[in-house]
Amino acid sequence: MPCVADWLNSPLGIVQGIFAQNGPNPDWEKKVTEYFREKLKENNATNWVPSLNDVPLHYLKPNSLVKFRCMVQDMFDPEFYMGVYETIDPNTKTRVLHFGKYRDVAECGEIDLNSSQMVTLERQTFYCVPVPGESSWVKEAYVSASQARVSPSTSYTPSRHKRSYEEDEDMELHPNKQKEQHMGSIGDTHGCGEPKRLETEASAGHQLISPNCSPPLDLNFPLPGEKGPACLVKVYESWDNFKVNDTLEVYGILSVDPVLSIMNNEERENSSSLLDPMECMDTVEEQRVHSPPASLVPRIHVILAQKLQHINPLLPACLNEEESKSFVSSFMLELSPVRAELLGFLTHALLGDSLAAEYLILHLISTVYARRDVLPLGKFSVNLSGCPRNSIFTEHIYRIIQQLVPASYRLQMTIENMNRSRFIPRKDYTANRLVSGVLQLASNTSLVIDETLLEQGQLDTTGVHNVTALGNLITWQKVDYDFSYHQMEFTCNINVLITSEGRSLLPSDCQVHLQPQIIPPNMEEYMNSLLPTVLLSMLNKFRIYLSLLRLLDYSISDEVTKAVEEDFVEMRKNDPESITADDLHRTLLVARFLSLSAGQTTLSRERWLRAKQLEALRKARLQQQKCVNGNEF
Amino acid sequence: MAPKDYAAEKEKVKRFLQEFYRDGKLGKKEFPYRDQLVSLAHREQVALYIDLDDLGEEDPELVDAVCENAKRYGRLFADAVHELLPQYKEHEVVQKDVLDVYIEHRLMLEQRGRDTGETRGSQNQYPPELLRRFELYFKAPSGSKARVIRDVKADCIGKLVTVRGIVTRVTEVKPMMVVATYSCDQCGAETYQPIQAPTFMPLIMCPSQECQTNRSGGRLYLQSRGSKFIKFQELKMQEHSDQVPVGHLPRSISVAVHGENTRLAQPGDHVSITGVFLPLLRTGFRQIAQGLLSETYLEAHRIIKMNKSEEDEQGSGELTEEELRQITEEDFYDKLAASIAPEIYGHEDVKKALLLLLVGGVDRNPRGMKIRGNINICLMGDPGVAKSQLLSYIDRLAPRSQYTTGRGSSGVGLTAAVLRDPVTGELALEGGALVLADQGVCCIDEFDKMLESDRTAIHEVMEQQTISIAKAGVLATLNARCAILAAANPAYGRYNPKRSLEQNIQLPAALLSRFDLLWLIQDRPDRDNDLRLAQHITYVHQHSRQPPCGFQQLDMKLMRRYITMCKSKQPAVPEALSDYITAAYVEMRKEAWASKDTTYTSARTLLGILRLAGALARLRLVDVVEKEDINEAMRLMEMSKDSLIGDKGQQTRTQRVADVIFAAVRELAGGAGGRSVRYAEAEQRCVSKGFTPAQFQAALDEYEELNVWQVNQARTRITFV
Repeated sequence: MPCVADWLNSPLGIVQGIFAQNGPNPDWEKKVTEYFREKLKENNATNWVPSLNDVPLHYLKPNSLVKFRCMVQDMFDPEFYMGVYETIDPNTKTRVLHFGKYRDVAECGEIDLNSSQMVTLERQTFYCVPVPGESSWVKEAYVSASQARVSPSTSYTPSRHKRSYEEDEDMELHPNKQKEQHMGSIGDTHGCGEPKRLETEASAGHQLISPNCSPPLDLNFPLPGEKGPACLVKVYESWDNFKVNDTLEVYGILSVDPVLSIMNNEERENSSSLLDPMECMDTVEEQRVHSPPASLVPRIHVILAQKLQHINPLLPACLNEEESKSFVSSFMLELSPVRAELLGFLTHALLGDSLAAEYLILHLISTVYARRDVLPLGKFSVNLSGCPRNSIFTEHIYRIIQQLVPASYRLQMTIENMNRSRFIPRKDYTANRLVSGVLQLASNTSLVIDETLLEQGQLDTTGVHNVTALGNLITWQKVDYDFSYHQMEFTCNINVLITSEGRSLLPSDCQVHLQPQIIPPNMEEYMNSLLPTVLLSMLNKFRIYLSLLRLLDYSISDEVTKAVEEDFVEMRKNDPESITADDLHRTLLVARFLSLSAGQTTLSRERWLRAKQLEALRKARLQQQKCVNGNEF
Repeated sequence: MAPKDYAAEKEKVKRFLQEFYRDGKLGKKEFPYRDQLVSLAHREQVALYIDLDDLGEEDPELVDAVCENAKRYGRLFADAVHELLPQYKEHEVVQKDVLDVYIEHRLMLEQRGRDTGETRGSQNQYPPELLRRFELYFKAPSGSKARVIRDVKADCIGKLVTVRGIVTRVTEVKPMMVVATYSCDQCGAETYQPIQAPTFMPLIMCPSQECQTNRSGGRLYLQSRGSKFIKFQELKMQEHSDQVPVGHLPRSISVAVHGENTRLAQPGDHVSITGVFLPLLRTGFRQIAQGLLSETYLEAHRIIKMNKSEEDEQGSGELTEEELRQITEEDFYDKLAASIAPEIYGHEDVKKALLLLLVGGVDRNPRGMKIRGNINICLMGDPGVAKSQLLSYIDRLAPRSQYTTGRGSSGVGLTAAVLRDPVTGELALEGGALVLADQGVCCIDEFDKMLESDRTAIHEVMEQQTISIAKAGVLATLNARCAILAAANPAYGRYNPKRSLEQNIQLPAALLSRFDLLWLIQDRPDRDNDLRLAQHITYVHQHSRQPPCGFQQLDMKLMRRYITMCKSKQPAVPEALSDYITAAYVEMRKEAWASKDTTYTSARTLLGILRLAGALARLRLVDVVEKEDINEAMRLMEMSKDSLIGDKGQQTRTQRVADVIFAAVRELAGGAGGRSVRYAEAEQRCVSKGFTPAQFQAALDEYEELNVWQVNQARTRITFV
């Protein structure tokens, strides 16, 4: 029985053991995954595994077990590798059988290419990036939960190697680097996560500016200014279940073999050789992208991978298990006070407008729960109009949302931004990869579009495309990726909140006009004072509340359905002009989220009436606004 | 399994090449391969394609063997051809290039050398690759299905596979060495090195007997003149978008192309490539670095370029019995129409019209005059009545379509623009949306928001189906044979019943008359409709799926194939019907005259009816237009007009259906100059006015009870009392 350290530090040894026991019998692969699954089930075992998300790469031992929380950004073509191969010792002529799974480089010895024992297998490579827009509190919570003991390994040559000849001049620029490393190790012995995180950020920033490849390698993060490791994840089984933009948690063997990078350099030198036409099969760019230096983009050979329903660390990972059910039911008991608190908090944030706060809650728990043909059901994008025309307010609103949801992004809708940035992911055929765009986001990411910043100006072609893409995203919850010869539709599930002065130029499911009750003399001060007043425990409850309610089931009974239908016909009779099918859709959605926000999983008559009342209030406000502004529409 | 006797296989191959024949046109036997061998022998042909279908007629087992082990059999066939060629040489061959001369010299030299009885070392033997000046390729059997790139897996290695996709990258054509020839600086002997791998290690020391025995250490030098090169090109191919499972990214595959197959495809072409799927082995250090991976590529044997519509047709040819039965059931017309945009509730007649638009009428060219067959439809309506959704559905359903919005496109963007080519600096035409939608559908949303000047650009397209360009010295007429589907809001955003029709629409008559059908979709409160709508929506919210329908909706692909099949029919209007149509048209004109406020009825209306009738006949897959088709066409016309004046009708004259029917019959009787009308005739008239036979029946009974008219026993005549 190997001890904990064994399966953490040298998983390949365990795989080797299982392989040796079972011989070339194909069952051994199953036994390996079985073994690791069992191991990780043990109490809190998952916390012992160091995570690439919060531990800098050079602190991790090569070939040790790591985990990575990420989003699939690109899929490369499948690779064929030798699953089982035989080597011959040139001296003794003894033949040894090896396995090729979970590793990049063959073991030493001469490989017998004509061996009858050789098995060719297929694996799939995903290019994964950390979940875009992940809030800092999520990261912190994961770090503090982690119990992995990592120390900068002195025996790890590649990192020293890297320092010795590539970053000497960098050392001067980062004189505190050494110090940090010390701090890191001290911090480690004390089991405190904070310095480590600092280190992650420092080294991530460091990576971005390091001059070790002539033009810096674009790590292809969807959002500008993102940090963190990108990773080539090699999946060995059931890769068809994983799709682009899925959020995954993978457990696997870290591979940072320096040979991988040497090969890369070698290739570049050789690429001028004319005698070998096959050499040019992949362009230089393609090689750069598909086999980047392992020190920048490590490889993970996946043993276990699972799709994540959510990335909120405060919630159990899977809600269907027994223990998490008790968690849910206990939280349900205190649901209404939490809701009341949250409503109060948001009301303050929205300058005392409780109706807008109500709608904001509904928006934050909305999620696309089904698709009917092309129409997504459950999307609830809100246009918060009437925002004061200075970015302080909207910026703080975003900060508050950021504190509440696990992943978010604030899109500043300035003319320059619209014209310059890339929204739609595009296939780059020379490098053979999907170049990411802002709209390549994981499910349930909150996208806050700040339209108050929009000024007069001219949109160019890119700008128009970007606006269209945003419109498509909001209306259909899909993004058409640009494959240059054709477009491909990818469905998404992104909560869009638009803040604007007047009515937004983008479509939205419902427009709420803000009616501030309080006008604080100093907006900055007022907004800044909001967050510190909330206790951390309460904030955590808000976070659980918003993430949990999204995952609940919901149904409408037949009687209520009948009543709703009757109601609609009645409303149409009275006011055919203003009640349309869209209104019914929207009111049903409002009713749905209203019920859910109160923890009820079925629609009741009262909720329906309340939803209608809310809608009526909202519409009345819009009407009023129209009168004030004259013929604005 | 016993190892294969490849010598015996080669004999089989030779026999096939020599003896395979087809029965020619004149009853004579044709020997396709023998003929090709002759031209190969005379260097008039380079590539020899072996059709595996032909081989299958002779020896089906051999075909399987070829498909399984294509590389080996390729060599085997090439050897066989090489051995057969001298037999087919009928006259001296004209030398075409340096290599020919070179080979001939060497052959002559060899003959002389043979006289002296000198034995040649194995290195000095002429490799067959050097002397061979032909290329041999396989054509996959027609029965084998083209694969999707993601299905080409490790088990396909070494096999002949056909894949389809889109070419994304093409390299330059480069020479690739097949045989390297060296000469020794000491003894002058020539050494040949056939090259099979992508890389090779050049020979340095002369292996000839003379040098070996004298230990003179002769150095070898590469002779590029005596070496053989072939053209080599690389392609990168990617899956079609429809072959990719939802949520995945398309995959790609590398293709190595040799010799005659080079320069056949450009980036963006849709191709089908038959080839051998092979692993690519690296040598030396690269192999170690590459470690456990092996790259793969497809060695192309045959590249076929296809455009997308052709590909669709290939699929449509094989509409199976069962599928046909599924479509051509009793109420297939309703069913097909209801399968259009099933997520949009109601609007049956609009959907029917859109179905006919997809199928289209028949193009006619009597004496050079061009009468379009495409049906143009304009959808008008209040905001939020799913016009855009209908449009985008048609855009997706039609095999070829363009979608633009009126606000986003200028006249030039719709028709064609003259641009200066950035590379060559020459003026070039770039087609707009209408040109790109040639033989398809062009959907234009927000038609009313378009600038008047831009809108006139499409007048020509809508009737003449061409676009004439006279810009910057470029005079051209481009085909734009497309059906136009436009969507517009009424002039004041919403239909205003207090204003007249013209004021509400605000489109010029010249444009309106070019639309065969003009629908006004209004959002009117109606208890039954509202309830059904509410039920529909609540059902969706309750069960998060489509409510069950009375029928099975047709799959989009199946519809697409059926529509393509319909388009192949060219139904004609029989002589007997022309009177009927004329009468109906005269009737319509008269009516239009009487009630001035409807849309303009002109000769174009008549053509519109004919087009719609033609499309209906196509839909039934028949060659003759029938009276029913005309009636249905007229009914649709009538309904479209009704939709325009409907609102007004409700407010001013609240006529009951029965009254209108009575008036129509009365008019018919009066027109015929008597007191009685034929039952069938009356019914037809009413049906063509948009009433159902049931309504007609009800009206008949009602007025009969009032003793206004009588219907005779056999129900053939209606007599006024």
